[in-house]
Amino acid sequence: MSSTSVYPTPINAFKQSKRSVLSVIVDNEPGILARIVGLFSGRGYNIEALNVTVVDVKKNLSRITIETLGEEKVISQIIAQLEKLVPVHSATNLANLSESYEAEICLVKIEFENEEQDQKILNFADIYRSRTVQKRQNIVVYEISGTSERINKFLDDLDTIGGIKVELVRSGPIGLGI
Amino acid sequence: MKDENEFTGADILLKALKDQEVDTIFGYPGGAVLPIYDAIFGQNFLKHVLVRQEAGAVHAAEGYARSSGKVGVLLVTSGPGVTNVVTGLTDALMDSIPIVCISGQVPSHLIGTDAFQECDTTGITRPCTKHNYLVKDVSKLSETIHEAFKIASSGRPGPVLIDIPKDVQFAKSKYISKKDISFREHRIKAGSKNVDKNFVEELVNHIKKSEKPIFYVGGGCLNSGHQASHELIKLVNKTNIPITTTLHGLGCFPGEDKNSLGMLGMHGNYEANLAMNKCDLMINVGARFDDRVTGRLDAFSPDSVKFHIDIDQSSINKNVKVNFHTNTDITLTLKEINSFIDSNNIDFGGKDYSNWWGQINEWRKKECLHYEQGDEVIKPQHAISRLYELTKQRDTFVTTEVGQHQMWAAQYYKFSKPNRWITSGGLGTMGFGMPAAVGAQMANPDSLVIDIAGEASFLMNIQEIATAVQYKLPIKIFILNNEYMGMVRQWQELLHGSRYSESYVDALPDFKKLAESFNAVGVRAKNIAELDDTINEMISIDRPVIADIWVDKKENCFPMIPSGAAHHEMLLSKYDKENPENQEKGKVLV
Ligand SMILES: Cc1ncc(C[n+]2csc(CCOP(=O)(O)OP(=O)(O)O)c2C)c(N)n1
Ligand SMILES: [Mg+2]
Repeated sequence: MSSTSVYPTPINAFKQSKRSVLSVIVDNEPGILARIVGLFSGRGYNIEALNVTVVDVKKNLSRITIETLGEEKVISQIIAQLEKLVPVHSATNLANLSESYEAEICLVKIEFENEEQDQKILNFADIYRSRTVQKRQNIVVYEISGTSERINKFLDDLDTIGGIKVELVRSGPIGLGI
Repeated sequence: MKDENEFTGADILLKALKDQEVDTIFGYPGGAVLPIYDAIFGQNFLKHVLVRQEAGAVHAAEGYARSSGKVGVLLVTSGPGVTNVVTGLTDALMDSIPIVCISGQVPSHLIGTDAFQECDTTGITRPCTKHNYLVKDVSKLSETIHEAFKIASSGRPGPVLIDIPKDVQFAKSKYISKKDISFREHRIKAGSKNVDKNFVEELVNHIKKSEKPIFYVGGGCLNSGHQASHELIKLVNKTNIPITTTLHGLGCFPGEDKNSLGMLGMHGNYEANLAMNKCDLMINVGARFDDRVTGRLDAFSPDSVKFHIDIDQSSINKNVKVNFHTNTDITLTLKEINSFIDSNNIDFGGKDYSNWWGQINEWRKKECLHYEQGDEVIKPQHAISRLYELTKQRDTFVTTEVGQHQMWAAQYYKFSKPNRWITSGGLGTMGFGMPAAVGAQMANPDSLVIDIAGEASFLMNIQEIATAVQYKLPIKIFILNNEYMGMVRQWQELLHGSRYSESYVDALPDFKKLAESFNAVGVRAKNIAELDDTINEMISIDRPVIADIWVDKKENCFPMIPSGAAHHEMLLSKYDKENPENQEKGKVLV
């Protein structure tokens, strides 16, 4: 027999979270990012990654890509509310498209101490087809792109090499439906 | 060199307001709006109503908008002027009321320096407006104002704020008139103008098949305009389908009509909630499946096919999944349904839903609004019933505060036309009613305007009595004085073992003397014998009146769906016992 909780459990407290990547086309104007972010923060939702860039200078449009974790029903509600924002042209959950492509770019700076490490790094860089941006005696900078998952794997692999120092920056995923 | 075609920002604002046919503005001055006040001084198309606190201005603008169908406009200064309107903006957002708020801001070069009376106005009001603007370039001002009015009143209406730094009010530019501006469609979001023929056909087919249909009508019907009500009445008469309305839907369909089941929801009629629960076809016209209506979601109307007409697509499938929906305007859709029925000569096979009506009439026999009026203490329900009987011959506008009195007003005052009932539903803002009455009276100078109030709520914006006196607005404040925050006391009685923690309103003012000190008129009814005379006296006085009606202090508002319960598990009186399991679950809800 299970014992009774001393506090009642609010119904629906535990819901499944799913990763979603949302793509939003907006008028490029002050405040629009804050409006969008507010729809997440107000619900206590975290934004895992965010990318904002002008994509059409003439029409003054930006594309915003947002990666978030959340319950599907809530994500649909957020999309419906995004579409209500005045400067928003469209909002799409890439997961709902029949065909879409996703990519992320990552710059990694690695400091190593010996030749063995250098070899291992080179080896991984080769496997993942990352491009060398700069190489000095004991520092190398790579650029790697692809899905976020691919980049995660590369970083995990680097992690297996002991004694190196890694510093990195990631763009967050961007995506496009076909 | 002087250019004849250039105007200051302040003058551009006034020109734009004139262009938008604004004739009334509610406001309160301060340093950051002095140039605008200077422009107001030198003109005569715009009547400025000086409120006594900015919260009064925003609720007055809401009352004006709701009672007239026009956009309500207000003007406030920077900093505290703006922060005082945050509640009202949120209220208007929740209840879909079109208002435009103009706020002054510190000069552009001081923004971000913690200047005197500076606040991040667009930041603070972003989540409580439909849209807002900070205008930093005077050449953009005309088009911003016109877009703001368009956005406030299009699609699902709501509040829009325009923040204008003081230097922009002085700077000069050309004025662009409304007719010379072309709006960008994606920004206006007016909803589709094309009726969904498929939706209409499906609906008519379902009506034909249905044995137990019901209309569930909300504030969206009101916002769609009077024509929506006409079409709805036609459709109900044609089909003989029962109809229930939400708190904001009251008046969209005549409350005394035989097909009306009255209001539904937490304090709605027994027959309305039961019919919603047992129906096989639900036709939602501009309502949003609010938690006050649905009760516990998993038990909401389990066996019905649901149709939803709502211009706001984010209201579709938000709380309750529906089978068919359309985002086209209600008037257009209802019109098409009516003409589809007429042009195809559809009669519903002589269908008058007699079994369904038989069942409903059984539920009606419960007389869920019954109360016992003794011969001494006034029952609050009776006070509203008498108020209704003694004012129903006139075109009366009723506003309310928030609490038990609000629910009794919704239950016992009957409305036959839209826009006569003005209440704070979504936010439940105490202090709404009196300033809203000021706004409604400005829009309807010859009508009777009554604020049905609780003594606690009334104290929240009491200062606006002075506004009513200054502008000779003969509003009536009808206080159901129970010396309690009655609704709080009721919840404490039902859910917290009658521990009346801080819900007794001690040290109340003498409302009669209070009225007199403001140069208004005070009247009072202490017992049932004085009630009718007091109401008649109140109506007959052509000045602002505060009527202090002493009512039973311990009366509760029934029927009630306790929070956490399903919509058919209603309490009809204090002798009804609640399911203890629901009670525990309900405690954590609001
Ligand atoms: C601004 C605000 N604060 C608190 C509440 C919570 N509240 C809801 S009803 C109520 C009591 C209202 O008392 P009164 O105006 O006397 O009305 P009654 O219920 O007695 O008719 C309170 C405190 C609210 N709705 N609004
Ligand atoms: Mg009270």
